[in-house]
Order: sequence, then C-alpha cells, then structure tokens
Amino acid sequence: MSRVTKTLVGAAPHIHAKQSTASLAWGSSLLLVPAFLWGLYCFKLAAVLPVVAAISAAILGELLIGLARKAFTLGDGTAFLTGLLVGLSMPPGVPLQVPILSALFAICLIKGAFGGLGANWMNPALAGVVFALLNWPAEMGTWKWPSHLTGVVGVSGASPLGFVHSKFATEAGGGDALSLLGASGFSFSGLDRSITAFLNNDLLGHLGVSLPSGYMDILIGNKAGAIGELSGLLLLAASIVLIARRIIRWEIPASIFASFAVLVWIFGGIPFGNGYFSGDILFEVLSGSFILVSFFMATDPVTSPSTPGGRILYGLAIGGLTFIIRRFGSGAEGVAFAVVIMNCFVPAIGKLELAGRINRTETLHE
Amino acid sequence: MSHLLTFRYGGLVLEDKRSWPVFVPIANAFLPTQALVLLKQHQGRASRCVVRVGDLVREGALIGKADEGGAAAIHAPVPGIVKDIRPVRVSAGGPCSAVEILLQGNFDRLGKREERYIWTSMSRTDMIQTLRERGVVEMDEPGRPIVDMLASRKSPPILLLNCIESEPYLRTENAVLHECLKAVLEGLAILNRLLEPARTIVALEPHQEKELGEERLRVLSGIEAPVELIRARQKYPQDLPNQLLAAINGGRKKQGIGELFIIRPSTALAIYEAIVLAKPVIERFVTIAGGSIKHPAVLKARIGTPIGDLVEECGGFLGQPEKILLGGPLRGQPVHDLDAPLTKQTGAVLALTSEETNRSSKVACIRCGRCADVCPERLLPVEIYRRLDKNRTEDAHAIGLSSCTLCGACGYSCPSRLALVEAFATGQAARELRR
Ligand code: SF4
Ligand code: SF4
Repeated sequence: MSRVTKTLVGAAPHIHAKQSTASLAWGSSLLLVPAFLWGLYCFKLAAVLPVVAAISAAILGELLIGLARKAFTLGDGTAFLTGLLVGLSMPPGVPLQVPILSALFAICLIKGAFGGLGANWMNPALAGVVFALLNWPAEMGTWKWPSHLTGVVGVSGASPLGFVHSKFATEAGGGDALSLLGASGFSFSGLDRSITAFLNNDLLGHLGVSLPSGYMDILIGNKAGAIGELSGLLLLAASIVLIARRIIRWEIPASIFASFAVLVWIFGGIPFGNGYFSGDILFEVLSGSFILVSFFMATDPVTSPSTPGGRILYGLAIGGLTFIIRRFGSGAEGVAFAVVIMNCFVPAIGKLELAGRINRTETLHE
Repeated sequence: MSHLLTFRYGGLVLEDKRSWPVFVPIANAFLPTQALVLLKQHQGRASRCVVRVGDLVREGALIGKADEGGAAAIHAPVPGIVKDIRPVRVSAGGPCSAVEILLQGNFDRLGKREERYIWTSMSRTDMIQTLRERGVVEMDEPGRPIVDMLASRKSPPILLLNCIESEPYLRTENAVLHECLKAVLEGLAILNRLLEPARTIVALEPHQEKELGEERLRVLSGIEAPVELIRARQKYPQDLPNQLLAAINGGRKKQGIGELFIIRPSTALAIYEAIVLAKPVIERFVTIAGGSIKHPAVLKARIGTPIGDLVEECGGFLGQPEKILLGGPLRGQPVHDLDAPLTKQTGAVLALTSEETNRSSKVACIRCGRCADVCPERLLPVEIYRRLDKNRTEDAHAIGLSSCTLCGACGYSCPSRLALVEAFATGQAARELRR
C-alpha cells in the first residue's frame, strides 16, 4: 500500500484563494511598469536614478528593520512597492537624497516604527511623498519637459497643473486651463494636433462639440510632471487590470473621482472668471498625481476602511479634500495631502463600520 | 418557482471540483481485513465498550452501548474477533477508544435477501426505540443522535432534506440520491410521520432537479402533505442552517434556526435502513477525491475501514498529497496518517496537492476586508481576530464571535493566510469553558 511520508495537519480551511498578500503587492508593482517605462522614454536617466534610489532605500530600510525584529519580510513585496511609488512620484532629475531620504522615512518611521506591515496607520509611500514636498519644496517643484518634445534632454518648465494653478493668484480673467496654457507658450505636440483634429472632424463634429488641443498631450503624457504620473492613459489601463484582477476594489477610486469631479464642475470655473458649473473636469483629473494616487495609493488596504460602505465614505472625503487643497492650498499636489489626512480618520470610520454591522447582525438574528 | 434561491450576504463562489464522471454505479468497497471502530462516532461522549479482547462478534453486533444523551450505539461493521481495544488519536482532539476487529466468519447480511418491515403500522415509541438501538446519528458533523434531535424539538419544525453539498469535491449526497432515491424518500416519510412538521422541504442544487422533480418527489415519497422544492444557487456555505433558512426566506434570515429540522440524504437513508431493514449503521457512502487521488470515486464502505484502504481502492496516490482530510476542504478535519478509520460522519476523504491548497506563509493582517466581504453571517472577522489576538475574548464576543459558524469563508479569502477560523474556534471554546 502506498504510504505518504508527511502531510500537514493545519487547521481548516484547507484551501485558499489564489491571492496572497505578496501576490497583491508584486501585482501592483508589475502594473506600474508601463507608467515607469513611459517616464523612462521621456526623461532617460533622469527617470531611472530617482526610482532606483527610492527602491534601494526602501529595501535597505526594510532589511534593517527586519534585522532588528529578526523577521525577513522583503518577500511580501510591500517594501518594494513603497519604494517604487515614492520613486515614481519624484520629478525627473531630482537630487537623489530626496527619494532616498523619503523612502527611508516611509519604511523606517511610518511603517517600521509602528510595528511593520499592517500596523501602520498612514500609507508609507504617500507619507514619504508628503515628507519630500514639505522638506524640499523647491526640488519637488522643478519639472522637466520630455526630451522627445524639446529635442534635448533636460529642458525645465512648469507642469501644466502647477502652471495653471499659479495663475489663479496673479492673473484673473476669462478663458480656461488650456487656453491659458496655450497663450503662455506651452506648445502642443504634433501627435496631439492630429488626434484632436481626427476626433473633432470625424467623431465629435457630428455631435456639435469640439475638443481643444492639449487634452491628448495631457492624457498620453506629453507634458512635464513626475516620473510615473505623466501618462493618465497608461495608468488608467493598469487600473482596469487592478480592479478586474481584484487587487484593489473599485469603491475608493470611484468615489474619489465622483466627489472631486462634481466639485470641480460646480466651482472649478470660478478662478477663470467663468461662474458656476463650468469647471474643467478632464484637465483636473488628468493632471498631477490624481490618477496614480487614487488607484495605487489611496487603495492601500492597510490604511483604508475594510467594508464597501466605509471605502465609499473615505473616497468621497478624499475627493472633497483634494478639491479644497488644490483650489486654496499652495501646492498642486492636493490629492497626496488629502489621502494622508483621511488616513487619520480610518479608525473612526472603522468604528462606524463596526456599529453598522453589529446593528444589522442583531436584527438578522431576531 | 424557477429561479435559484440563496442567502444574501457574503459567501464564496468556488470552482466545482466534481469534474469526474457523475453517476457511475457506486462501487462497494472491499471489506476491511481489520476494522478499527471508534467508540465515539457522535456528538456526545464515547459509548461504553461491551465486548472484550478475544470475543467473537457477528456482523452488526452491539459493541458500544450509549449510556447518556449525545451518545449512540456502535455496532460491529464486520464479523470477526476482537483483536484489541485501545485509544487511538484521530485528527484534532484527544485520543478516543477504538475496537479493532479482525475479519473472520460468516456474514449475516451480505448477499442475503433483505427482509422488509412495514413501518406504517409501527408505533411512534417502537420507531424511536429502533432508531436508538440501531445507532442512527446525523451522517455528518456534528453527529447528533437522531433520537436526541427528535426529543429536543419544540413546536412543529420545518423538515428539510438538505441535498446541497457546497464544498468543492464532495459528491456523497449526490450519489446517495442517485443510488437510493426511493429509500431516502421513505426515510424522509418516516421522519415526516415522527415529526409532524409544519412544512416539508427538499433543498437541491440545480443539477439534481432532473432526478428530483416535484412530481417525482410526491409520488416516490408517499408523503401526503405537499413537499416543497428549494433550488439553491451554488454558493458556499449554502448548506449551513442559517443560509438554508435565508434561502427559504428569500435572502434574509428572519427566524431562529431552532425551527429547522435538517437532515442529509445519507441520514435519511440510515433511518430507512434502521426501520425498514432493521439494519444498524455499519456502512456509508463516501467520496474519495482530490488532486492526489488517481481515480476519484464515491464508494460504499464499511465503518471502520482504514482510509488508506479506500485510497488504495481508488488507485492510490498521484504524487505526494499535501493534506489528507476527513470531510470537505473548508470544514473538514486533517488527519495524520492513513490508518484513520471511516466513521459515521466521514462524508469524504480528500487528498489535496499543494496547487489545490494554495498555502502560503502567514503574514500580518493587511486590513483588506476580504474576510468581511465573504462572511455570510455579516461579521467583521478582521475586527474579531484583532481582539482575540490581544486576548480580549469578551470584546470579541461583543462584536459577534458567538454567531460565527466557523464556515471558513474568511480564512479561505484571507491573502495573509491568518488562522482566523482556528482563532474563532478557540475563542468560542474559551467562553464555553467559563460557563
Ligand atoms: S482577509 Fe485577512 S488580511 Fe484581509 S482584513 Fe481579513 S484578516 Fe486581515
Ligand atoms: S468562519 Fe465565522 S467569521 Fe469567518 S466567514 Fe464564517 S461565519 Fe464569518
């Protein structure tokens, strides 16, 4: 009779879903690769160095913390992901101490000091980014234009979002985000012109609307911006996979978008002197780190609520805060601050979630 | 009533692993040359051994006597000599006394024509006495004796024949229905007489409908009152009492579960055999499956057969199994070795490969909420776990630990592979202990 040498007797359940915490983290990292490659194409070495520096620092930090705790946790992929996210949020060509110190801060202080994975109450990557924004405002606000647009590497300029928002304070007056950009000498690429022309002539023309030039550049990523934030198109494509593969749940990004878009639509036109209900949703959503943060960082399970209702509440609040910070704050990076602020309210949302479930469970058991 | 019913909250949609041929004639397993009969094959304490080493026992002879509620009579599954009476360790929990019988001598039943008793003229007291003497218990966990279940009911309950097997791989009840439909329904009719239920319901999986149409049911069962059919969606854990009740009530659980009297087809078959054929519970249908089994099958085997023999009969192992289980992959018990014997409650023996278990090492809880998404009792397993982890058992109970049914849906979904169910079982036991 065939004998088995050794079988396991661990407790039920004996089968598990394929997803593991490590596969979730490595999966997210993998899905960020296209956005990084676009950054690489635009900025060459200036994109590689900050990302490599941030990842190395994150791994080093995790190793050090691991040594102190005698736990080897690099395999769970979360430190790599944190490093990658910090790196991708950096402007190209940023001095390397910025990503290195930010990643170390994220891993050692935000994540490690609270007891490692699962015990931190603030998203480490975002905390790192906010740390950088607060400590090196000048370096974090120096942008470059993609080399294929200018022909040479390293031409610096303002990011569209930063530029438009900086105009709020100085020049009031009619118009909109894109005409403001155009008037100030932002040149749009040939690709943008041809796609916009195609859309206007062949599709939108029949509907009686037309798309101004510039949106295509902003969507594809032909603009100045952080290494991994340029291409809304690539990030959105990756996000579809994130949701379809159930790595993240849809509630958070959807509700961030919903509340932010509504507020932009209602109030976003006012700084341009256009009155209510004239805001430019497309421009605001596709600019800055909005997409990267809402899909890849606000959805960090550790620092977001654990029920669908809680996640929607959380997302709506982030969208609202983002609008307020972008509109009235100094920097354009409103969404990062908004998420970090809302991280602090997750325990409170947790109490609401628990109360909701318990009440409902009781009525069920009557 | 064409649409499928189910429960509303949580649940898992699991891949059906029953891809092997469905209704092959069920093979009778070989008789074990050595049967190891546990004296505890029921919810309560072990029965008292009434044989001694060296005794000659006949097939179906009483070897364990039930002295108290919760216990049930145990019979010799094969004729032979009592070789040993010793404590054995099976799966979790302490050791249990077992009687080892060396197969020998003649069979009183095998190959003989069965005599049938007409139960319709039996008195209620006689029937209950018969069920007690024949050791009829629930043929799955927790294995309550049928007579105890009958005695403890209060108002007229809903009698429910639960044909649903919502754990992957399991096909035992399906096979019982296919092979012994008439007997199962006669067992149901006997219970119907004993209980005088308010309603009689048969809960089915959609694919069983061909076998068990409403008309067929009525004709075959001979139950005069109408028998209702509930077709349930394939969702785990549809086969648990709360989720069955929810399906009956259109999604939500509105009544207490005290009012459901649930039995499995295997149990109905045992009732039929005890009363109509005067046969004690000495054999059962059992699924032998999993990626490590060469030819998965449903066998009809004697209680006390070592599971290794059953595996052997299915062609042996295909590679190295990672886990060997008695019961389903979500609620079953792991066993140390292949000497563990078949009991009245063993509906399946599974040998799973590592590809099937998807085990990975435990990491910290990432608060992802997947456990909360799938909990059919609408609890927040993550919060309960956190409290238990800090030894705050009472706080854990305050947020619903006592309503956890240990279904395992949360543990299945947890990407950090935390031992949620184990913690919950321990937490519930800790409170029981203090009472
Ligand atoms: S599924 Fe596991 S990791 Fe996720 S919240 Fe529940 S216990 Fe934590
Ligand atoms: S084992 Fe308990 S907590 Fe987990 S899903 Fe089942 S009922 Fe919910």
